[in-house]
Amino acid sequence: MQLNAVCKVSRGRSLLRTQNWLIMKLTSILLIAGLTQATASGLAQTVTISGKNITLEKVFREIHYQTGYNFFYKNEWLQQTEKVNIFVKDAPLKEVLDICFKKQALSFTIVDKSIVVRKEESKTARFDAPPDVDFRKIEGTVVDELGKPVNNATVSIMGKAAATQTDAAGRFSIDASPGDVLLISFVGYNTQKITVLEGKTVYNLSLVLSTKQLNDVEVVAIGYVSMARKDITGAVSVVNVENMNKQPTNQITSQLQGQAPGVTIIGSGQPGENPQIRIRGLNSFGDNTPLFVVDGVPTLNIADLNPNDIASVQILKDAGAASIYGSRASNGVIILTTKKGKNGKPVVSYDSYTGTQNVARNNVWHALNPQDMAQLKFNALANSGTPVDASAPDILYGSGPTPTLPDYISPAGAHEGDASVNPSLYFVNPNFTNPNDPNSFYQITRANKAGTDWFREITRSAPITNQNLSVSGATDNARYLFSFNYFDQRGVIINTYLKKYAIRSNTAFTIGKNIRIGENMSYTITDNPKLTANDGGSAIGYSFRNQTIIPVYDIMGNYGGTNSDASLGDSPNPVATLKRTANNKGLDRRLFGNVFADVDILKNFTLHTSFGGEDYSGYAHQFNYPTYENKENTLTNSYGESSYSGYDWTWTNTLAYHTVIDGVHSIKVLGGVESYDEESQKLGATGYGYFSFDPAYTTLTTASGSITATSSRAGYGLWSQFGRLDYAYNDKYLFSATVRRDGSSKLKAHPYGVFPAFTAAWRISQEKFLQDVSWLTDLKIRGGWGIMGNQINLGADNAYYTFTGNKNNSYYDLTGTNNSVVQGFSVGQIGNPDAKWEKDGNTNIGIDASLFRGAIEVTADYYIKDIKDLLYNPTLPGTYGTGLTPYQNVAAMRNNGVDFSISGRKSIGRDWRLSTVLTFTSFNNKITKVTQSTNYFLSGASRNFGSQFIRNQAGHPLGSFYGYKIAGFWNNTNELATADAAAQHATGDPGAIYQTDEGVGRFRYADVNGDGQITEADRTFLGNPNPKFNYGINLGASYKNFDFSVFFYGVKGNQIWNQVRWWTDFYPSFAGAKSHTALYDSWTPTHMNAKAPIQENVGYASTNADPNSYYIESGSYLRAKNILLGYSLPESLLKRFSVQSLRFYIQASNVFTVSKYSGKDPEISGATVTEFGIDEGAYPTSRQYLIGVSLKF
Amino acid sequence: MNSRISLYIILAGLGLVTSCKKSFLERTPQGTLQGSTLETEAGVSTLLIGAYGALDGQADNSGDLIALNGGNSWGVSPSNWLLGSVAGGDAHKGSDGTDQIAMIPLVNFTVDPSNSILNDKWVCVYEGINRCNNVLKYLPLAKDVPAEEYTNIKAQARFLRAHYYFDLKRVFGNLPWIDETTTDYTPTNTVDIWPKIEADLKFAYDSLPESQTEVGRANKWAAAAYLAKTYLYEKKYQDAEPLFTAVINSGKTPNGIAYDLNPAFEHNYMPEYEDANPEAVFVIEMAANIGNGSIANSNQGDALNFPYGGSSPFPCCGFFQPSFDLVNSFRTDPNGLPYLDTYNNYPVKNDEGLLSSDPFTPDAGNLDPRLDWTVGRRALPYLDWGIYTGQDWVRDQRYAGPYAPKKNVYWSASQATDGDANQWAPGSAINVFVIRFADVLLMAAEVEAQLGNLDQAEEYVNRVRNRMALHPEAWVYAYADNTDPSAGFSGDLAANYKISPYPAGAFGSADFALKAIYFERKLELAMEGYRYFDLVRWGLAPATLNAYFNYESQYATDVIGAHFTANKNEKYPIPLEQIDLTEKNGKNTLTQNPGYN
Repeated sequence: MQLNAVCKVSRGRSLLRTQNWLIMKLTSILLIAGLTQATASGLAQTVTISGKNITLEKVFREIHYQTGYNFFYKNEWLQQTEKVNIFVKDAPLKEVLDICFKKQALSFTIVDKSIVVRKEESKTARFDAPPDVDFRKIEGTVVDELGKPVNNATVSIMGKAAATQTDAAGRFSIDASPGDVLLISFVGYNTQKITVLEGKTVYNLSLVLSTKQLNDVEVVAIGYVSMARKDITGAVSVVNVENMNKQPTNQITSQLQGQAPGVTIIGSGQPGENPQIRIRGLNSFGDNTPLFVVDGVPTLNIADLNPNDIASVQILKDAGAASIYGSRASNGVIILTTKKGKNGKPVVSYDSYTGTQNVARNNVWHALNPQDMAQLKFNALANSGTPVDASAPDILYGSGPTPTLPDYISPAGAHEGDASVNPSLYFVNPNFTNPNDPNSFYQITRANKAGTDWFREITRSAPITNQNLSVSGATDNARYLFSFNYFDQRGVIINTYLKKYAIRSNTAFTIGKNIRIGENMSYTITDNPKLTANDGGSAIGYSFRNQTIIPVYDIMGNYGGTNSDASLGDSPNPVATLKRTANNKGLDRRLFGNVFADVDILKNFTLHTSFGGEDYSGYAHQFNYPTYENKENTLTNSYGESSYSGYDWTWTNTLAYHTVIDGVHSIKVLGGVESYDEESQKLGATGYGYFSFDPAYTTLTTASGSITATSSRAGYGLWSQFGRLDYAYNDKYLFSATVRRDGSSKLKAHPYGVFPAFTAAWRISQEKFLQDVSWLTDLKIRGGWGIMGNQINLGADNAYYTFTGNKNNSYYDLTGTNNSVVQGFSVGQIGNPDAKWEKDGNTNIGIDASLFRGAIEVTADYYIKDIKDLLYNPTLPGTYGTGLTPYQNVAAMRNNGVDFSISGRKSIGRDWRLSTVLTFTSFNNKITKVTQSTNYFLSGASRNFGSQFIRNQAGHPLGSFYGYKIAGFWNNTNELATADAAAQHATGDPGAIYQTDEGVGRFRYADVNGDGQITEADRTFLGNPNPKFNYGINLGASYKNFDFSVFFYGVKGNQIWNQVRWWTDFYPSFAGAKSHTALYDSWTPTHMNAKAPIQENVGYASTNADPNSYYIESGSYLRAKNILLGYSLPESLLKRFSVQSLRFYIQASNVFTVSKYSGKDPEISGATVTEFGIDEGAYPTSRQYLIGVSLKF
Repeated sequence: MNSRISLYIILAGLGLVTSCKKSFLERTPQGTLQGSTLETEAGVSTLLIGAYGALDGQADNSGDLIALNGGNSWGVSPSNWLLGSVAGGDAHKGSDGTDQIAMIPLVNFTVDPSNSILNDKWVCVYEGINRCNNVLKYLPLAKDVPAEEYTNIKAQARFLRAHYYFDLKRVFGNLPWIDETTTDYTPTNTVDIWPKIEADLKFAYDSLPESQTEVGRANKWAAAAYLAKTYLYEKKYQDAEPLFTAVINSGKTPNGIAYDLNPAFEHNYMPEYEDANPEAVFVIEMAANIGNGSIANSNQGDALNFPYGGSSPFPCCGFFQPSFDLVNSFRTDPNGLPYLDTYNNYPVKNDEGLLSSDPFTPDAGNLDPRLDWTVGRRALPYLDWGIYTGQDWVRDQRYAGPYAPKKNVYWSASQATDGDANQWAPGSAINVFVIRFADVLLMAAEVEAQLGNLDQAEEYVNRVRNRMALHPEAWVYAYADNTDPSAGFSGDLAANYKISPYPAGAFGSADFALKAIYFERKLELAMEGYRYFDLVRWGLAPATLNAYFNYESQYATDVIGAHFTANKNEKYPIPLEQIDLTEKNGKNTLTQNPGYN
């Protein structure tokens, strides 16, 4: 049996012969190629063809052209086929084929990316029956659910060639005989059947919107190939891009939150802040960023891509799907494809929204007002045995039972009328250049007795706007899309914002019949000043570290601050901190994209080559003003410039082969090679001593003092080969195998790793015994195993033992100059040439089900990931010194979990359409090994405590909180005495005490190990920042021209370490603002049932000096992320202005959050994967109100 | 034909990629050196400078002040202000109740092995040891080193290694020994390393030249003094005696200045006199304003130790506040001699509890003039910075008392060169003494007293006291104009100073002699990082420190709850993290010190 692929019909003709072009142009039919491309290789899931009396061969060719699907048939079969009349636009492939095959003695099956044609004897017989000659003219009107006329609906007669189309008023007329069955079909609607009755010649019909999803022909891009969704055997989440794009942010990763099962995203309210993204839990102790593959180009950065350009997003979660990306697959792979031009004349789309963003600003830290703060100070000093009295008055508040607020904080404690507050004494020069100058300043600052709300002072309501314009279209052999995006989101915190310009150009050309060539390019310019948020040392931190009595400005309008007295704490003025950044500027630029070519060669082979990558650079400068208003001032001025640039490229070459044997064995083979290269460099310099701080003056050249410079370069390469085999039997039993071999320049002794994966699936619904189960449209059971790799955390010189020197840590003033140092060297990197690839063994089972003809779709997976030879740079014993410790294959980790999505659609009556998508992600992460010699490592800042409170230990999840568990308060001395006696008994030491720094009103820690005494062995695991699960709920409804959608996102079962409470709930935790809890809900002899311990002047191991469970809170929350109401203007109205569609919408995001968390916002990201869920002043998520418009013409 | 063309394209493409793959995966690390580059005299010399470069334990991470291991700068300070002086009762930690919270248990002896500062100290000093070992490892591989230079380099490296081990041994007691031959970096710490420290210093003493081309290098006499000091710590008085005698009689600085006491006590703490300082036996050289915006070379470890408050001229941070007990120790009796046991019965008047605006008249009694070069006191000149105004210059008087440190503070007149304002905390070019000649004299006195040579001991002590007694011009004087400190000092002493040498024969018994020597060390070397280690080796730590806590807690809240436990707190615990990192076959190779398990 000889099968021909349609692409080979023209075999023998020259590719570039103009005759081909002529033939195509001269065809009497109008072929409009239109498609939604799924990949760069030109795959579509919909087809647009209009024409009368076209040969089937031509239709096949066009479908192949538009979709990339191959047809398998015998040439002679086509000789006997009927020509077809077909008028479809963006129609699902299957429906188009249904139309084509309706009158033919042929049937078809879609197998993966192929359409296998079979001869059908019974059909032939029916086709051969003599035609009925009793024709009558049948007329009618076709309307849709809303009663609107349907233009271009196809009206045909079942089993006959006759067909026609409705006109703009929905009218049609056709010749038919009684008993004929009229078929009325239109894209997106169920095909209607009406039997022609004797004597009835007018038929008015209404079409019902199709609820059937297009799953069985929807093509999704997975590793290096595209596949019908029904044929996928691995765990792949297909994201609903429309829902995703509704989130008003310019970051694709932020938009993904809650939209894809298996993906956990922890965001930040800060414009441009990269969210933490994790696919199926945590895969390494370092970077967990997944590999993004954009139009076939792997990259680790999609922060600057324009979300409006995205056509599809697929998440490859298990080894079966992802390990074709081998070494870089362990963190998961996200495949993105950008939009391509569609058929027809240029379409201009304009999308725009604008709005405002707000956060709660009213005393968010529950800070005490100045009078209460003074009272707290008096209480704390009294509790510490050093009460404020006449013999030891307070500099600000005097003495006595109640404090008296001063009129001035600078001079400290001064009152109106004092000689010291005479404004003529005032002298402050904010632009001083001599570090000694501030010693002669005389600042006069009034006390703000009403209280300064510092958070309010640094926040504002901020505008957001997004403008997106695209022009796209396609001709027979060229496709194009151009887009421009302008996004400007001001942060609610002053001088933070994201301003971005993005342009994209995607084009593709078909040359001859066998070659497709194109490019996808985006260029972005980003301006994104950010705060180092979530740190007591940021402006947000300063907003709870400044007492309310301090005003923002002094009497002359210079900044007020903590400088006047030690009891005001040591925080800088956050308003000053932020405003001084106003002239700091920086831009990041990035060109990202690829060029590609597809060539159909020999028989059934397709060659694909793609060369792509990025070229990026950035530059920033900032001026560091000297400060005078703070306790700890920077007395010098300096100016820094920094720049970075780099490139990387990936060159991919694949050769694909596809054949179908006997119409039931579909075999697809793909082989490929890929090389990757990256180089980057950084340059930075700082100049000191500027004569003037005028931003127009400051350059490195104009520094009067020294200039220091730093630079670095790095690069690495990968070289890979890979292969893939997909086999399907009768569309029922599917099997897939992939293997990849990667080499990395970061690994010396073992540069190569091999990553295999095997998956299989059974479309059980294709079995006979389920054919009659009408509600079960499709059911597939799949499972697989494979290995994915990782080396992302490795530095380029991990393998080498290197020496290096720098002035700070290895140079020395050997000659005693007091002002210079001599070069000295120390170990830079301790090398490990033996590192090899990390291996992530991955088992997955799952189901894909489609019920009620696609009204309900379910995809569910269970997985286990066992990460072995985990690359980790364990802290070496101190005896090695401080050289950078190399990554070694020492650790191991395990994740398991369930993720699923359920989506449903329903129409109610003619006007209501409802849809829902629910996603669910759970993961359970457990470290199984750290190193040979130790089972834990610590991370997290210890500045506020004597030890670090994040303990990553075998048997526990990464990032776990660790410390003493609070069992209550010591309510009286008897309790202490009893506990001490027990401790003395237990230890046999008559001097033993139960707990370090124990005292009445302080925390009593739990004796976890039961040895009668609190030691560091009693520290225990207090919480887990990883959620048990997270979920997203998209609800959509439309009624007539109105559409409405809501998106909820929730996180359940994680804990937050609320470090803000360390600052605000304990009097001795630096002299910043303190909370209502500290004054009104702290332990006193009359208020033992308190939240905070007794307020004292000194921090103790039993209060705030050691990490304990006081800071642990539940991080669960449910957030109404997005509510949207839209209205589309009626088409009848728009037609007059040649407008295709015009929709207006209003939208509110982050509308409400249900959470027990006492802090500002329970969504707490973190700097690293081992250090997150710690709230030390996170950038707040703002509530946004937007209005938007979408226009298409 | 098109197929064939396409085939050619693919084959060409594959071929191109395949052919370049080998070199493709070979990349050279950028911005670093491979060891082979260092196998020359120049390379090894530079490694040696790197070994000196670790003496201060400091680094910088893009403007963050950090220790060499990325940890806490201040806990690894080479001045040992925290573990030597504060832990010994010279001073309070200072600042306020939760600032640098990990320091508190260290000095109140409620420390547990998980304390992060101890771990920082351990790792940073071992970094110094490793740098010495790298010198010794690469030196034999360098074929171009002249023999004399070879020995000099080797001896300096071993001297420095001994210093690092000594520094760490005083803190932790039991250490694993790592040298240039080590392959197993997790040896036990149960073998006493004193003999190895001795061996390194002996080699250095035997091999180092008297003079060096750079003043910052160790010379023969530095090694001799260090070796003698080691013997003293080991109580090998017989071995120590001749060495100390030789150092005192024949010792010279690397630039050829015979060891002697600096006539002006304060010149020890002023960078401009450093190179010509006859008292500099071995110092850690500090350099300010080296032009990189960092203070990592300008005694960053002490950057917190400046007066702090509304009108203090320093931006940071109010740490290291001298104790009441220390200040009282400077009281002298009518004969100009200290009250060895009863000094707290004659407390020095202070301004605790007073506002800066309240009137205050300073103490009028007899005081050792060294007090006011050591401690900032209310109403007295604070170098040339102005009158020390008490609470205004203090972060939290109730917490840590009214005083401020002085020896580590540069002068206003020379702040542009001696100070370093490139960071939020001040850097300083003032060198840190590892061994100062006054220290040598007092150690020698101790050795002589232990050996019964009481007159010799008294002579050494009196030499130290006479430096002050005979040089009243070098005492602290009142400002010519209190409102303009830059106008210099008047002819009036700032306080009622009285100091005399012990009368001949005063050291009548070894007990008294030792008591007087110990006390003299407290006064002369106050705030210089010795006190805790001295108290421990004298066996006086439990009694002295518990009495100190008892006395001091009447006035400052930070020591409430402090308690020194005998037979435990003489050593700090081996850092828990280090023990946990040395597991071998299920057992830790490091053994915890007694009392910390």
